Amino acid sequence: MKILIIEDEIDLLQNSKEFLEAENFLVETAMDYPSGLEKVMNYQYDCILLDIMIPGGSGLDILKQMKAANRKQAVLILSAKDSVADKVLGLEIGADDYLAKPFHFAELLARIKSIIRRNAQEGSSLLTYKNITVDPENRIVRIADKTLSFNRKEFDMLYYFLLRPNKLLEKTTLAEAVWGDHADQADNLDFIYSQIKNIRKKLKDADAEADIQAVYGVGYKLV
Amino acid sequence: MAISVKNYTNRYLVLAILVIMAIWALLFYALLMDEVYDNVDDGLKNQKIEIIREAFKDPSVITDNKTYGINQFIIREVAPREDLDKNHFSRKLIYMPYDEEDEPYRILSTGFFSKDGKAYELEIRTSTVEEDDFLINLAISLSVLYIVIVLSIIIINHFVLRNAWKPFKETLRNLSQYRFGESKSFQPVKSQVKEFEELNLQIAKMIDRNEMVFEDQKRFLENASHELQTPLAVSIGKMELLLQDEAFNESQLKKLAEAKQSLHRMVGLNKSLLMLSRIENHQYNQTEKIDFNALTKNLLEELEDIYTYKEVQVSLEDKGIFLADCNPELAQILIGNLLRNAIKYNKPQGQIQVVFSERTIRIANDSLGEALNPKYIFERFHKGTQDSTSNGLGLSIVQSILEKYPYLTIQYQFIHNQHVFDLIKN
Repeated sequence: MKILIIEDEIDLLQNSKEFLEAENFLVETAMDYPSGLEKVMNYQYDCILLDIMIPGGSGLDILKQMKAANRKQAVLILSAKDSVADKVLGLEIGADDYLAKPFHFAELLARIKSIIRRNAQEGSSLLTYKNITVDPENRIVRIADKTLSFNRKEFDMLYYFLLRPNKLLEKTTLAEAVWGDHADQADNLDFIYSQIKNIRKKLKDADAEADIQAVYGVGYKLV
Repeated sequence: MAISVKNYTNRYLVLAILVIMAIWALLFYALLMDEVYDNVDDGLKNQKIEIIREAFKDPSVITDNKTYGINQFIIREVAPREDLDKNHFSRKLIYMPYDEEDEPYRILSTGFFSKDGKAYELEIRTSTVEEDDFLINLAISLSVLYIVIVLSIIIINHFVLRNAWKPFKETLRNLSQYRFGESKSFQPVKSQVKEFEELNLQIAKMIDRNEMVFEDQKRFLENASHELQTPLAVSIGKMELLLQDEAFNESQLKKLAEAKQSLHRMVGLNKSLLMLSRIENHQYNQTEKIDFNALTKNLLEELEDIYTYKEVQVSLEDKGIFLADCNPELAQILIGNLLRNAIKYNKPQGQIQVVFSERTIRIANDSLGEALNPKYIFERFHKGTQDSTSNGLGLSIVQSILEKYPYLTIQYQFIHNQHVFDLIKN
């Protein structure tokens, strides 16, 4: 899986690169408008992470150029400007999704995966870990061929765990992932705890081989 | 107590005119009386000469005038003395049949030697001014004059000053309509009066200066929060990478996670500040008619998981549809902040009541604590005592949004242990 990051802030670029490489992506980078445009026009990527404010031009202009050249690439806009107008404009020009900075890497990964899944012509988009299988398209959870019923929030959380099994997921990341903008509620963390309890119970009752493990005071892991 | 400038000047004018007229009346009286006596005395002296002449020609004049008769003089024989012919004036009250009372007379006492060398005393009298009557008349006419002058001044002042102060009053009214952040909301008033022109000029200058400082501050706030975004994102990213590192033990991970959480709070604070400056910089200017009932219900649906988890009961009541022109994004933030507060500061198993009518939306929630002070709750960074997770900007964002829409106001009350926020459309 090849990913291009167009971002002028070197530290941010390094962070994202390191994270995505750890997730087994092939990462290329561009730090300004001309080099970004050149890469976008000449190579094919599974997903492009595009910053709007870059030296030499605007990320939105890259999108426009791509549209004008009829070049179809999956684009995820990353912007510090958390403005709805930008978001709407970006999506209209042809971006696939929009993520406001700063973001949780788990969130970034989920967005990238879902973009890649949507753009994939064929092949399985199922996520599998041990005997758990999640079908994000149809929102189905199967454990050893047995279909389980999960409510919306439980499903969202399980999906995050399956995206990165064995990796630590922070409580706050989970909260923001499932609550979005409403995540400033302090009580959410307790809510997460009770949801996790439900998921664990369901997994256990269905004899899943994986379990969610608490990392005390930090978050959870699917092991 | 403050009085208007009209009454202020009137008070002093009335006093000053009273004093001036009193002094003037005294001087006038003294001068007039002096002139009157001078005149009367001259007449008496003239009469004396004529009488003495007559007495020389006709000695019977001396003998016929031992008492006052028709001629207002008497001649009496006296012992001769040096200063016999000296004039001596005096005043005396003498009964006057016409008036049936004593009236003032001016008397000239003098003397002369007749042809035969005998000394005679001559006393001539004439009726003179009735000083007391004169004084009373003078006092009455002066009082009338005083009242007329004072009334004229008050009336003239009333009309002239009312006109003259008109631009001032207009300036005051315009000032009261001035809203900070909108220099155009103050309209200078054209005036013929130099002082008011000056006043207008200075007010306009002051407003410009203040607006500039305000602008600078806003820009500073916006730039500062903008510049903070990247370093925050970088630090959070680095910490997230560290958290993935298997080498850390749980207590180290916990500390990292806590540090990261603090940074996230800072991001939230930063976002709120940016939001505030965006609202104040009019970046949400397009408006449309918003159905607040539908909007609130949508938001409540989004928040449903949270409030059901807190076992908070929400009841909705539609008495009417609240429609208002508003930016859709701001309307979301406005109602969202109020609802989130209602959930956050509710007691466990508490109640939230939302009542819509055409003119108000009431959001009431059971309270954990006491009444809030409506003076401070809309201020930035004002926090309730029990809460450490809030950044104290939620209600001030609400306030900033409402400042954009003069026809919308919010009121806070504490009724039956409930925090009650009323969004009112005027």
